[in-house]
Amino acid sequence: MAPDALQGIVRQQTNAARWNGAGWPDFVAALCAAGVEVAESAATRGIFATDAGGTAYGLPHGVVVARSAAQVAGLLQAAQAHRVPVTVRGGGLTTEGESVAYGGVLLDMTGMSRVLAIDADALTVRTEAGIYWHGLAEELRRAGLDYLSAPLNMTSSVGGTLGVGGIDVNSARLGCSADQAISLQVVTPTGEIVECSDSENAELFQRVILGYGQFGVITEATLKIRPYTPLSMHYYYYSTLRSAIEDLQMLDANDASDYSGILTIMDCAVNLLVAFDSSEREAAFKANWEQRLRGHGEFGFALCMAGHYALRPWKAGEALYLLKRKQAVFPEFRRPEFHRDGRMEDRTVVFSRAVWKHWGSRNMVIPDLATSADKFIDAVERGNAVCRKFFPHYTLYCVGIKLRPEHKPHYEMSCVPPDAEGWAYGCEFEPMIEDAVYSRDHFQSFKNAIYDIGVDLGASYYRFGGMMKGYIRRVFGDALVDKHLAMKRRADPAMILNRDVIF
Amino acid sequence: MYSTAHPRDYPACSGCSLCRLVCPMWRSHRDPRFSPEGLAKARQNGAAVTELADVLDACVLCGACDPVCPENIDLGGMIMDLRRDVPARPEQAALQTGYRKAAAAPDAAPAGALLLPGAALRADAGLLARVLELLGIGCATDDGADIALALEIGGAIDPGRRRSFLDMLGGRTLVVGDGLLLRELRHWLPGARLQGLGEALGNLGAIRRRIASADFYVVEARAYHADHERLVAHYDALRKESGCSMNLDLQRIAIPGCDEAEASWMLKGRRPARILVESPAEREVFRCVAGVPVLHLAELAAPNEEMHNA
Repeated sequence: MAPDALQGIVRQQTNAARWNGAGWPDFVAALCAAGVEVAESAATRGIFATDAGGTAYGLPHGVVVARSAAQVAGLLQAAQAHRVPVTVRGGGLTTEGESVAYGGVLLDMTGMSRVLAIDADALTVRTEAGIYWHGLAEELRRAGLDYLSAPLNMTSSVGGTLGVGGIDVNSARLGCSADQAISLQVVTPTGEIVECSDSENAELFQRVILGYGQFGVITEATLKIRPYTPLSMHYYYYSTLRSAIEDLQMLDANDASDYSGILTIMDCAVNLLVAFDSSEREAAFKANWEQRLRGHGEFGFALCMAGHYALRPWKAGEALYLLKRKQAVFPEFRRPEFHRDGRMEDRTVVFSRAVWKHWGSRNMVIPDLATSADKFIDAVERGNAVCRKFFPHYTLYCVGIKLRPEHKPHYEMSCVPPDAEGWAYGCEFEPMIEDAVYSRDHFQSFKNAIYDIGVDLGASYYRFGGMMKGYIRRVFGDALVDKHLAMKRRADPAMILNRDVIF
Repeated sequence: MYSTAHPRDYPACSGCSLCRLVCPMWRSHRDPRFSPEGLAKARQNGAAVTELADVLDACVLCGACDPVCPENIDLGGMIMDLRRDVPARPEQAALQTGYRKAAAAPDAAPAGALLLPGAALRADAGLLARVLELLGIGCATDDGADIALALEIGGAIDPGRRRSFLDMLGGRTLVVGDGLLLRELRHWLPGARLQGLGEALGNLGAIRRRIASADFYVVEARAYHADHERLVAHYDALRKESGCSMNLDLQRIAIPGCDEAEASWMLKGRRPARILVESPAEREVFRCVAGVPVLHLAELAAPNEEMHNA
């Protein structure tokens, strides 16, 4: 194990060191001469002081709003020459500071957020990569089309998602969101504008997809799309994680649904959601699989819960919390303006609204574990015990990810665990912060306790960068990390691009 | 879940960027400074209001940011407050003075429900007459146009003037043509029966029946967002009933037809047979960019028809 293997493993937050600013004025002068605006006011830099997690803080020396691939190329060439760190940001939906700049320049990709061309016959879209998935959906829907898969959060950007993976409730069927990328326009760390795909500049494509921004800036993407369909959604309720996960994996293995996932209120109310794009698929599920599920309907589960807590009066507080949470959250998933004829029209809007309203807060820590199918129940149960230890209230979110054998090179040193075959499974462990105040060390200890499970199980993580990058060598091993580090050094001689994320 | 304990002003902004998704100012500039989040963060980082003048000027006060903010910050109110600290342009100040003088000695308001048409509708006498006939209510000669403009430009509102205006309105059912004034009247006259012009006309059977599935219906953003929770249901019912498409995005937030760029983006990928607008100002914008008939809602029904049907 390398000497730096334990960096960041101590039970305290491990912010990256701030860049010292050497060469900044010359860098800015070079950009200004090229007609690139570098915003240096505190007001502009302050917009990017933290990410969605709200626990990592850092200010860039300046901000550049991306406008074109040529502009980004010029920026990266100047950054190489002046050895100025460049932190690239899309929606900023990281939680470990991966999109926070500790000095240097912050490149805001949302300036490149236009849909360039929709091909309804070939079912593809070409878009600038700084676009929010929500913005892409907005234009696709006018043509009766939709993207395949994207995080259930409206402020995720296309480029950011392709760089890390992206999980949707249809990932067990369609794979991670990055799998829908057909080709990309990438600006390399040395400023070349390159088109890449599985057949053209394949090595760059493999490194950029799920590459955590180390090997280039994605400026445009061609994505597969599909005809839009509203969803028919069903919910089944369980009182144990194990039975719900077993049923989730049974459905995934048998291709029994179009959408599946688990969302919980602690480990007390475990909701398996199952949804369908078509009446035919729904009917087949009802005929062949529904009776095999061990979950209850809402009324049946309420009766079970009433019985459970009647026998355990000392748990009245927990019962009251469940009831309050149900009353707050359930109507959000059933708002009539997002449904028509019993079908959900805008799943990302419905889920994202609910997430921001009922799960979001100023501080969010969401450690996760990604494992092979057979290790998943163990991982979730152990992670659940950690949640119980650290927080009174929390949520678990579990989904499967269909793996594409031909994409195996994309998955190297990524959130996809190396031993997964067929499906990988991911679980996010999210404490409900509510009005409570926790120290950073409390959050960090919680994350470490979850990540230690991953090391023990030989798993991977979705959020292994930023403040958690100390785990990278522990989970991937020196040989693989050194291989990628050598590739990074070749591609990015001054090590300027997103340098605090992985290496 | 966000805390309910902290203040609901710009210090509460956590930078989630949800307001950017719906902001026409951001869509136009694609620059984080040009968004409510950008303004809130700038203030949090000590920016003086004068440094933000360009951004404040670019905001169209459509109110789209208010219903989507998970912190429940009154972002529209924040921007209107900040505008008060930026000197108004001379022509705007002169216009406000003109409206103020016109309202100085109003005729006695007719009894019963009143229409406050607002400057844009009042400027089109034919359309105003048609609206009044359809709604069957009286028209206020003092419709608070000076107050509405002051709200828009950050001008001062004399407390005495505001009091006399509100006294004149007290206890009536009001249909308000200016969305920004409607927003404030909801605060100033809690419990009053208030409707926007679009909602009032859309409730008339003679108009509702004529909205077709091939139409593109443009909801007036300010009035809609000022009462979003309730009006979402109103417009959702209208959409389901008529089958028309609307300028509501996937979050059911209204995209304002504030300029030709926004109107063009709204129509991108759409081929409506007609465009129906609630706001006379938006009618003019769409006429510049759309190659199809653009009608105000009141132009859908023949004069007297609603009264004959009643």
